[in-house]
Amino acid sequence: MTALPLGGFLALSSALLGVGLFGILTRRNFVLLLIAIEIAMNAAILNFVYFAAFAPVPALGLTGQEIAVVLIGFAATEVAVGLAIVLALHRLRGSINVAQATDLNG
Amino acid sequence: MSFAGTVGPLVPEVIVLAAALLVFLLDVAGARRRELVGAISIAALAGALLVVLADLGFLPLAALRGLPPSVLNAVPAAGSAPLYTFGSLGLVFQGLFLLAALLVATASLSRASDERGAPIYYGLLLLATLGMLLVALASDLIFLLLAIEVTSLATYVLVGYTRRDARALEAAMKFYIVGALSSTLSFFGASLLFGAYGTTNLYALRAVAGSVGYPVLALLGYGILLAGLAFKTTLVPFHAWAVDVYDGAPHEVSAFLAGGTKKIGVFALFLVFLGPVLYVKAGGGSPFSGAPFDLGPTVQLTLAVLAVVTMTVGNVLALLQAEMKRMLAYSSISQAGYMLIGIAIGTSPALAGATLQVAAHVLMKSGAFLVVAAAAAIGVGPKIVDWQGLGTRRPWLAVAFALMLLSLAGVPLTVGFVSKFVLFSAAVQARGFFVWLAVAGLLNSALSVFYYARVLKVIFFEPAPGPLPARAGDVVGAAGPTPLGAGGIGYGRAVAIGVAAVLIVAIGLYPQPILGPIQSAAAHFVAGGA
Amino acid sequence: MSLPEIALALLAAVAIVTAASALLVRELVHTILWIGIFFVDLAAIYFLLEAPFLGVLQLGVYAGAVTVLLLFGIMVTRKRIFSREAATGIGVAPLALAALTVVVLATALDELPSGNVPIQAYPPTALSTDLFGAHGPWLLLLGLVMLVSVSGAIWLVREGRE
Repeated sequence: MTALPLGGFLALSSALLGVGLFGILTRRNFVLLLIAIEIAMNAAILNFVYFAAFAPVPALGLTGQEIAVVLIGFAATEVAVGLAIVLALHRLRGSINVAQATDLNG
Repeated sequence: MSFAGTVGPLVPEVIVLAAALLVFLLDVAGARRRELVGAISIAALAGALLVVLADLGFLPLAALRGLPPSVLNAVPAAGSAPLYTFGSLGLVFQGLFLLAALLVATASLSRASDERGAPIYYGLLLLATLGMLLVALASDLIFLLLAIEVTSLATYVLVGYTRRDARALEAAMKFYIVGALSSTLSFFGASLLFGAYGTTNLYALRAVAGSVGYPVLALLGYGILLAGLAFKTTLVPFHAWAVDVYDGAPHEVSAFLAGGTKKIGVFALFLVFLGPVLYVKAGGGSPFSGAPFDLGPTVQLTLAVLAVVTMTVGNVLALLQAEMKRMLAYSSISQAGYMLIGIAIGTSPALAGATLQVAAHVLMKSGAFLVVAAAAAIGVGPKIVDWQGLGTRRPWLAVAFALMLLSLAGVPLTVGFVSKFVLFSAAVQARGFFVWLAVAGLLNSALSVFYYARVLKVIFFEPAPGPLPARAGDVVGAAGPTPLGAGGIGYGRAVAIGVAAVLIVAIGLYPQPILGPIQSAAAHFVAGGA
Repeated sequence: MSLPEIALALLAAVAIVTAASALLVRELVHTILWIGIFFVDLAAIYFLLEAPFLGVLQLGVYAGAVTVLLLFGIMVTRKRIFSREAATGIGVAPLALAALTVVVLATALDELPSGNVPIQAYPPTALSTDLFGAHGPWLLLLGLVMLVSVSGAIWLVREGRE
């Protein structure tokens, strides 16, 4: 049975959350924003997987893996909706006026 | 458990889901009339509301009861970790969610008749409501967050459903980014809580809060989860998106967002943070007596500070707005602060007060946004000064709007006064530090009177500058071929606004039939029946 | 260091570098390349954690479907609202906030066990029994999420004739 340091994984997922947050705060391109959010989401999923692997009670650990399965499905669905919104916006701008910048700046 | 045993208690949810699927089926079959799908949605929401009221024990409806009394407020057996349970506070929130959806669905009947997409609009409205109903049943953190996502994803699309309106689509894009960030943070926080305690069950989390596991990890988990849920609840400093989204969305959708879906964040905060807050209570200390970074005091102090900051910032920014919808959006943000007071205190009267505040907010805020929709339909512009002379042009509409604003300001004889009275007296009862929360709330109510009074002055005492356009179409949907009924407002909107206004006064005059059930539900909730 | 520890260190380093590169490179197509490597790298970490089912799911859904979706999004909307990133500069405040998040989270490292912890492996059958049994409602909710997403996304991208 392999043994690994628990703290190393927490450090990794924290770093990934940091990278994702940084991307969300600085990028202005929609696809890059989506990618930044997915990086942070992967950090959350990784959390569930390694906490499951290190769980003191097997039944609890299994729960963590199940949550990871559900979350992977959820994240992919979320990306699809985001792309749909942006495609609709793109089509509108493409057919009306590309230079029309954001109306809502708040 | 048998099929009937599983589905039996879930009658309202099944009704709403079935109606949503029926609406989508009709869309495929080519039956896309707004009146048809709207009627189906309204009937389903009303039916679900009746069942929920029956389950809550309102007497004339007892025959409709779908929930066995043994299930209501049952505490799950030790060791079992159910994903959903039936608590009376959850049912109260279900009723409020259904009421908000019903008002919006009725008012949406008056949207321009040549506008496409009625089936998808009503279908997503029903599915969003279904997500809200499931939030109210959650007893598991992952179940809760996934149910919130059902609602969120539906509302992202609802905001941009007009498709040809760049402002609405931009609002949808902004809403999506903020919503996706919020759900990611929530799941990250949940994962840390899972790591700290080895469970995602809300009962178990409540029982173990702060006592076992890894306390620092748990504190971080609660903190990140709070940030995620704060986005949904529009707490300062996570509020900036709300104003742009409410402003850019179709008016009816703004009403649904501000009056309806925002409250799932409030209920989620109730569910998640009662544990840590009660942990302080058991220790018998004030937020300042614990050790530094002790879970309970830190959480309670954070919630209290967030509540005060949210109220104050929301009110101050509302004072500065020149546009009606943006003013209402900021006032909605400040109202979220009042609701947060309830969970920060964590006693049963305080939760009852916060729940009543949620109920009041459903009526006042969805009503107010629907009045904006009605005003837009008769050609009133987006700025507050554009509303000059409405009191003489459309006296009934102006009076209804005045009632909503007075209720938002907390003037006596309205539901807004009752809810603030219950909430602040609970804060005073809790003594010590919490009295200051009541003081902050009262000062904020006084501050808010200024901008509501300014609007009332514009509507009733400033004459319209010139002749107004006979009628113009809705801002989004463009002019329909036939004039709308009820003086250009539309019958659906007139009915929804009227119902909201009447309920505001009725509950304000005679709150007992509502207050009683809410108080006993809050007591069950705090006692552990969830 | 044992072999798994070296593998973990390498995979973690690759994950952070690819994630950061994906957000910082100028050309959007390169971004997709980096994020694809990032997803595959995480799948490798799941295999290392003896969660083969999740590893395969990560490969199929993230490295496969999500990457292709993102690539598709870039191809279709290219040279319109998102050509390349206008400014690739690194703001100080966002960097500080991200760094602060990491530092605050790192405070939890103290209370975690410092040495190596054995990894618990679960057979995929146990996973499915539980997921389709006691935790079925999660899957039902995921189904609802997908129903909402599919119907909403179709409405948004379908060509309307208004």
